[in-house]
Amino acid sequence: MDFSFDDNQQMLHDSVDRFLTEKHDLAARAKLLNDRAAQDQLWKEMAELGWIGAAFPEEVGGYGSSPVDAMVVLERMGRHLVTAPYLMTAILCGRLLVDGLAGERREQLIGEIIAGDCRMALAAGGSHALRSPEHASFTMSDGVINGRAPVVLGGDVADKLLIAARSSGAHGDAEGISLYLVNADAAGVSRRYYRMLDGQGAAELVLEGVQISADALVGEADRAAALINKAFDHAIAGICAEAVGAMDHLVTATAEYTKTREQYGAPLAKFQVLQHRMADMYIQTEMARSMAYVASMSLDESDAKREAIMSAAKVQIGRTGKFTGYQAVQLHGGMGMAEELDIGHHYVRLTCIAQLFGGHSYHLGRFAGHTRSADALSL
Amino acid sequence: MNLEFDQEAEKLRDEFREFLAKNLSPDLSRKTLLGQKLTKDEHKAWQAILAEKGWLTPAWPIEYGGTGWGPLERFIWDEESALAGAPRANIPSLDLLGPVIVEFGTEAQKKELLPRILSGEDWWCQGFSEPQAGSDLASLQMKAVRDGDDYIVNGTKIWTSWAHLSNKIFCLVRTSFDGPKQAGISMLLIDMEQPGVEVNPIITIGGMHAVNETQITDVRVPVSNLLGKEGDAWTITKFMLGHERLVGAGIGPSLALMRQLKAAMERKDAGGLCPADDPVLAQRVAEVDADLLALRYTAWRVLADELSGKAPGPEVSVLKIRGGEIQQAITELLMEVSEIESLVHPFTLPDSGDEGAGIVRPEAAHMGQQYFDRRKLTIYGGSSEIQRNIIARRILKV
Repeated sequence: MDFSFDDNQQMLHDSVDRFLTEKHDLAARAKLLNDRAAQDQLWKEMAELGWIGAAFPEEVGGYGSSPVDAMVVLERMGRHLVTAPYLMTAILCGRLLVDGLAGERREQLIGEIIAGDCRMALAAGGSHALRSPEHASFTMSDGVINGRAPVVLGGDVADKLLIAARSSGAHGDAEGISLYLVNADAAGVSRRYYRMLDGQGAAELVLEGVQISADALVGEADRAAALINKAFDHAIAGICAEAVGAMDHLVTATAEYTKTREQYGAPLAKFQVLQHRMADMYIQTEMARSMAYVASMSLDESDAKREAIMSAAKVQIGRTGKFTGYQAVQLHGGMGMAEELDIGHHYVRLTCIAQLFGGHSYHLGRFAGHTRSADALSL
Repeated sequence: MNLEFDQEAEKLRDEFREFLAKNLSPDLSRKTLLGQKLTKDEHKAWQAILAEKGWLTPAWPIEYGGTGWGPLERFIWDEESALAGAPRANIPSLDLLGPVIVEFGTEAQKKELLPRILSGEDWWCQGFSEPQAGSDLASLQMKAVRDGDDYIVNGTKIWTSWAHLSNKIFCLVRTSFDGPKQAGISMLLIDMEQPGVEVNPIITIGGMHAVNETQITDVRVPVSNLLGKEGDAWTITKFMLGHERLVGAGIGPSLALMRQLKAAMERKDAGGLCPADDPVLAQRVAEVDADLLALRYTAWRVLADELSGKAPGPEVSVLKIRGGEIQQAITELLMEVSEIESLVHPFTLPDSGDEGAGIVRPEAAHMGQQYFDRRKLTIYGGSSEIQRNIIARRILKV
């Protein structure tokens, strides 16, 4: 048992933090949101610094010693409110390529991603985007994909798209989902761009009569649902780390703020009710941290155990993240809601995190399903 | 004890419904229910319809353009207009300042200002909080220094809602630095359309622009613009905020949101399933619905006190705390039920016009924003922490 970072992970942590502290403050972030050239440049820099490679194991050309490396990067990204599609490209789509492809094609595609030359997005799960791949809103028949999705995260900058489509069976069947790689500029693909409330880029996606190429298939035909679910679990571990970075910061920043803000002739921090609230924020953050660590270290477990742990982590992070974010805003008062402080932005991101890849109800249900006749330890 | 609503009042409810159905355009109603941005003109158009009917200012005495309704009728009106999706704007003028002018204003002020509010010519905003005076309002620093027949005013107000759409502001200003802090505060009526008044927007999470920072620099205000007497503002403010004791409960808005939530729960997906089929979600909705019921009956008890002539007391804090929490809980569920589309920033969506219809559903896309905006409910108008202090001190006497 060891919950500490090794030397390399500590170095990675420090270098990510240093870079983002220097180059990604709130003002720089606000500018980035409307500056595509700057987004492209940041992505390139992230690649050069080895952050993208850290998400891939060495056997496919990455630099990651374990999923903990990516966790380290994402935790700091969460602290600094990074909106670049790291989670979508490197973790989610990256995992789909690692597990779903082999040989030269895999090496080449992953190489492009690690070099920062290719960003990717996944369209899966229809209106429940990012969970339940059996609810695909795209269909594939006779080599042609049709369908539409309201929200494809990272779809605004993606060069390549992974489309989960129903290739056989009926809506909701676990069997019959296939995953295809499609160029974002292929004929029949159209996108409309917008942002999410947390600043992440996204797109509405329409595929009309898109011809798939001979090597488009990722994973086995009709059997991609399990592959996608596993990639979702990798993303859940990553997003949990991101949440912890945000929560950690909110606890510290709120304590600092209440020490300096005076009302009724005393700093807010002197009021016991607020001290206890901040103590609760700290408690919740530590619970979240535990589950984020465990999530990143449990990705290679059996399907049942992995799903149970990821759901437990997601429920924990969703609830504690929203609590911590909400209380940080509440204790900052009106300023907590103003966009000029980072407090509200973190709260928005934590709320989004609670919903992405399945919300509270979905994951409680999945956890209950796995633990109904066996406790999580014996899975 | 009995739970029956007054029969006459219930009849009025039907009349309200009929009026709202006939006069409120479906487009305006839809926008309001979704929490979409309305222009000032859209607000003014609805205000004009109400003014023509004589229902714009139910809280005012009948001789100044009020309706003559009692608290019960006003409660029903608030419920019905919220459920119908009638916009509520210009609250500082209609619900806050109007009744205060009636109670404390000079004859000249009543004659000049009240008609201008009714006609929509004047939009007032409230200048209370300051950067260093939030919960602790009495420590405010905006200065009004007497110079002949004028005051010279300097200072900064924050969280001035709708200041960017307003032409006038009523401000709490410090006219004296001696004695108890509360006693040195006066209420001044200030024209915003003059040099020295600067309104800077504050964008809040979810990209909303409702509040501002309003800076006042060396602005001359005639002494005749004092509302009440110098040093009286604390009493006036208590009257102003205690006047509408049920507002904080937000029963109408919560009922309207709960309807939207129930509809969203029944929306079937491509596989024919709806969120209500999820037992976890269904129970959470039921839990908040049960809370809303308890809130509504608690509001009825406060209303019954009001009808029997009892002065408003600290029980209003119960409504404020739970009212805010319940709206937050409903919008949280609305957001969850609307899944990923609720997290879309609706202001960044391209117009649906260009390449065919948009895919993101507008009724889902506004839900995250609605949820975030409602964080303010437990912060403004005395935060939940302050309300709990009031309950502890004034009811529990601890």
